[in-house]
Amino acid sequence: MTSDWRDSPRAGDYSVDELMITVLADQFHDGDQACNGMASFLPVAAFMLARLTHAPELVWLASAAGLEPRPERIPASTLEAPLWRDSIMYLDQYTVFWDIVLNGRWLEKFCVGAAQLDQYGNANNSVIGSDYHAPKVRLPGTAGLGDMGSIGKQLYYWNPNHSPRTLVEKVDFISAAGFLEGGTARERLGLEGGPEIVVSNLAVMDFHPDSKRMRLKSVHPGVTVEAVQAATGFELLHPEGEVPETRPPTDAQVRLIREVIDPDGMCKREFSRRRGTSAR
Amino acid sequence: MQEKLTTLTEAIAPINDGDVVALQNMATQAAPMALVRELIRQEKRDLGLVVLVGGMAVDWLAGAGVINRLIGAAVTMEQFGLCQQYRQGVEAGRIRVEELCETVLNARLGAGARNLPFLPTRGAIGTDLIAQNPDNMKLIDDPFGGFPVVACRALRPDVALVHAHRADRFGNIQYEPTIMWPDISIMPRAAKRVIVTAEEIVDTEVLRRHPERTVLPGFMVDAVVEVPHGAHPTSFFPNYGYDSEFHREWAAAARDPEQATAFIDRYVRAPSSQAEYLEAIGRWEEDQ
Repeated sequence: MTSDWRDSPRAGDYSVDELMITVLADQFHDGDQACNGMASFLPVAAFMLARLTHAPELVWLASAAGLEPRPERIPASTLEAPLWRDSIMYLDQYTVFWDIVLNGRWLEKFCVGAAQLDQYGNANNSVIGSDYHAPKVRLPGTAGLGDMGSIGKQLYYWNPNHSPRTLVEKVDFISAAGFLEGGTARERLGLEGGPEIVVSNLAVMDFHPDSKRMRLKSVHPGVTVEAVQAATGFELLHPEGEVPETRPPTDAQVRLIREVIDPDGMCKREFSRRRGTSAR
Repeated sequence: MQEKLTTLTEAIAPINDGDVVALQNMATQAAPMALVRELIRQEKRDLGLVVLVGGMAVDWLAGAGVINRLIGAAVTMEQFGLCQQYRQGVEAGRIRVEELCETVLNARLGAGARNLPFLPTRGAIGTDLIAQNPDNMKLIDDPFGGFPVVACRALRPDVALVHAHRADRFGNIQYEPTIMWPDISIMPRAAKRVIVTAEEIVDTEVLRRHPERTVLPGFMVDAVVEVPHGAHPTSFFPNYGYDSEFHREWAAAARDPEQATAFIDRYVRAPSSQAEYLEAIGRWEEDQ
């Protein structure tokens, strides 16, 4: 564990994946439990960073399979055994993992990646196109997202490709329930929790407390509000006053990510190719 | 105890065209690939697949024209990308997808295993998954007055195909280090028949040393076949990892139907046994 991360100066040189990792890491604290699914490099890096800095007591269920693992670094898969190396316990997905999730006492926060996200935070990882049985693109599928949106969890979306194709007015298919049609739509179905924030490669968004429409929370350094709006497929709400700038990573955070957590640059792969395989 | 030891050919032969087959699988993990290859060699048709997360096995079966429907939560090879043959089959309307989130799939299999008509979950409420699948998911009132739940209809696959670490000739199955995915826990309990391949067949005395590792009793298992490296090219923890090069080769071939067919001809249809398959792929030469 490093002790100098808190007082470390802003990094002079950082990349957008590193910025997104630090924003996600800030959402997880001592006393939380976190888990990751497949193709989830940024959340895994965020959990590892949080555990090395401000949240050493953050519990991690790697791949929803291994408790408190000690991976050497982020491997090429966030589902395979090298990630859950040295676990304290293996979790049977059917009899243990989902009971822990569904119970309501634990694992309150989930990071979610999706091919499409709409203005009310509904997520699509199923199909692109209007005909479900002959879609333009068959995506991987809902996996555990279709559960996470409906069982009272707080959802933290990450999106490495902020564009009008990924942030759309209305998703082609609701694979995971966000705020549905907005307003009190979730409450009417008895659903608690829901989307908290969206961390993209351009900005951080949250949701208006009444309308539940997506709202700019901060723009990343060097990115204008106009550029974020131009890259979004619907009108973003604005906070009162100036839109703040996202706090960039510190030198210590960047060093940990580059030297300890992700020396192979696995997180950068999410930016170089289109994936859409993030699940659970 | 009854003898269950048999061959791949005889184990797969009783599967009928149109059957629903539950398949152990994660994106690149622990699939009974030797059984999958045998399904293709025997030219089974119109099978429905049940998977939690399907990977190359689903893609091969799609490319070989074996399946026409899939019940599952996701299909992807994770770092190796989408399953292109499966994707093309779905987009062309040849493969129908019944997409379920994980608690719904678990509830359907759990109901099947326990001989119940359905089990409820709170997952999927508010999603489009329910409207897409009215035959198997219904939003119903909580009889005790709370918010509605989703009734998930029992699913009883005709057969479950799994790969394990060791077994005896009577079909008692051991798994290392423990059960982690539902394909080995709930799928075989929900299915009407269970076919298992094992890395090695051992004497029953060997199983007695670690009864805590026995996950399926012989009386639940209909056929067991010894298939070393039977999960290749998927990983089989802790024995071997996934074969990256082989996954990349398939992912490249799978974009084009002709190349996909050539790949399947070479690695699936041509080798008539596991030994010939291992020779064709050129891994584990020391074993041959």
